[in-house]
Amino acid sequence: MIRAIRILAANPLSLVGVILVALVVFAAIFAPWIAPFPTHNGAVVDFAFANKPPSARNWMGTDLVGRDLFSRILYAYQISLVLGVVVLAIAAPVGTIFGLLAGYLGGWAEAILMRIVDVFLSIPPLVLAIAMMGVLEPTLTNAMLAVTVMWWPWYARLVYAIARSEREEGYVLAAEVIGAGTAHIAFREILPNCLPAIITKMTLDMGFVIIIASSLSFLGLGVQPPTPDLGSMVAEGARYLPDSWWLTVFPGLAILIAVFGFNLMGDGLREVLGVDE
Amino acid sequence: MSALLSISDLHLGFKGLSGINNVLHGISLNIAQGERVALVGESGSGKSVTARIVLGLLQETRSARISGAVKFDGNDISAMNPKARAALRGTDMSMIFQDPTSSLNPAFTIGRQFTEVLRRRDPSMGADACQERATKMLGEVSILDPNRVLNAYAFQLSGGMNQRVMIAMALANRPKLLLADEPGTALDVSVQAQTLTLMRNLVADHGTAVLFISHNLGVVREFADRVYVIYRGNIVEDGPTQALFSDPRHAYTRALMSAVPRITGAGLPEVPEVSEDFFAPQISHGGVA
Repeated sequence: MIRAIRILAANPLSLVGVILVALVVFAAIFAPWIAPFPTHNGAVVDFAFANKPPSARNWMGTDLVGRDLFSRILYAYQISLVLGVVVLAIAAPVGTIFGLLAGYLGGWAEAILMRIVDVFLSIPPLVLAIAMMGVLEPTLTNAMLAVTVMWWPWYARLVYAIARSEREEGYVLAAEVIGAGTAHIAFREILPNCLPAIITKMTLDMGFVIIIASSLSFLGLGVQPPTPDLGSMVAEGARYLPDSWWLTVFPGLAILIAVFGFNLMGDGLREVLGVDE
Repeated sequence: MSALLSISDLHLGFKGLSGINNVLHGISLNIAQGERVALVGESGSGKSVTARIVLGLLQETRSARISGAVKFDGNDISAMNPKARAALRGTDMSMIFQDPTSSLNPAFTIGRQFTEVLRRRDPSMGADACQERATKMLGEVSILDPNRVLNAYAFQLSGGMNQRVMIAMALANRPKLLLADEPGTALDVSVQAQTLTLMRNLVADHGTAVLFISHNLGVVREFADRVYVIYRGNIVEDGPTQALFSDPRHAYTRALMSAVPRITGAGLPEVPEVSEDFFAPQISHGGVA
């Protein structure tokens, strides 16, 4: 722990990352209390203040129907973070199980499991997600599903590569000769040695998942209005550029801060946990 | 006295794309209770596969073709089901390897791995009992600060320390047979000598039989009661250590002994890679218990 703090402190960029992530998480959790207009996360209309530039009353301006952008961005962070956490909480374990079993068992298991992974990897990820969202109803749950389906194979590949090399390590043989079973060796011996890489990738991926989810809703395939979402807010405002610049710039900045924060933090974490590139 | 391990006429082949590749051509080997037996030979002679068959690991490899009897404690290992074989490992049999540091999982402390080893024998063993037993075992391998070692990770300890930890773990469940596959070859010579002396005394105290696999004749001479010399899947000579070393009769044994570089210099000895007389029939000095 002390070592971790020292490494983070010696690397100012990752410290910036940690601070940005902390800010985003704080904003998301406490949105109902921080937001000046907590009701504006839903279908509220206030034409008296429609499409106003940033002011003392609305720090980031208001949208086309008069809702406070700052409040909506705070709520949009909630959606983004929940989406990212849920996607990774499903994609990472599923991919890890695939990769571990393929990497440790080898032979037929490896051939079958990794070919399934290859099929998923052969379709461009965003295309796969767009195709899925085209078929399914555009809801938050389905957006999560679509992103998860395109995401887990990357974990399978990562864990597979590590498990393949760990399989040759002496401690695996040592575990075999004291009679440990397949499941024990895969999950209790090899998995702990894959965890640093998995955790690092999850942190880096939080940013990417937020971008992909925003891309989907930018295309109108993600979370639907009136629920605030950073991607759809950017899309909505894009038609009014450059006059109503605040409609796109602030949600765009919000995406940037979140993605940037998670990436910097992930890089720092990689050093702390000693994961090779 | 009955043999603890008795291997008779063991053949092993691996099925490859171009047919069966034979590795062992009918070897026979006996180890009595508490006896230290060495299996000596060059790389690729079939030493390590023999150990893997005794452990019952190769029987589970699909490409392996095994015939002959391997009896441990009166039971035929090849005839057992995989579960029964797995039950023997880590309880009645254990093994130590060349490189002690890589044999320990880098993600866990020594103490935690020790606990897992102990629970192989007795799953109900409590944390305190494990700690106590581990401390005692580490004391037996002359580790003076067992608590520091138990809380350390393998990479924080020296190779010699890890070797002692491995010996302590391997003997913790009081196995009847210990397989030592070139133990400590990855360590420097003086550390290797220390740990081998330790191991020798410990197995003598515990009454553990040892199958000691090595290519190092000097070490074998100090450690073993009896020696088998293996060459290309055949046992070429066997006998009590003293008899075999003072009167090596097989051409390959002689070549092996002359191959050891002298500390006094005189260059590296020349040893033919293959020679007609290396395939001469097995010579036995007797001495099988």
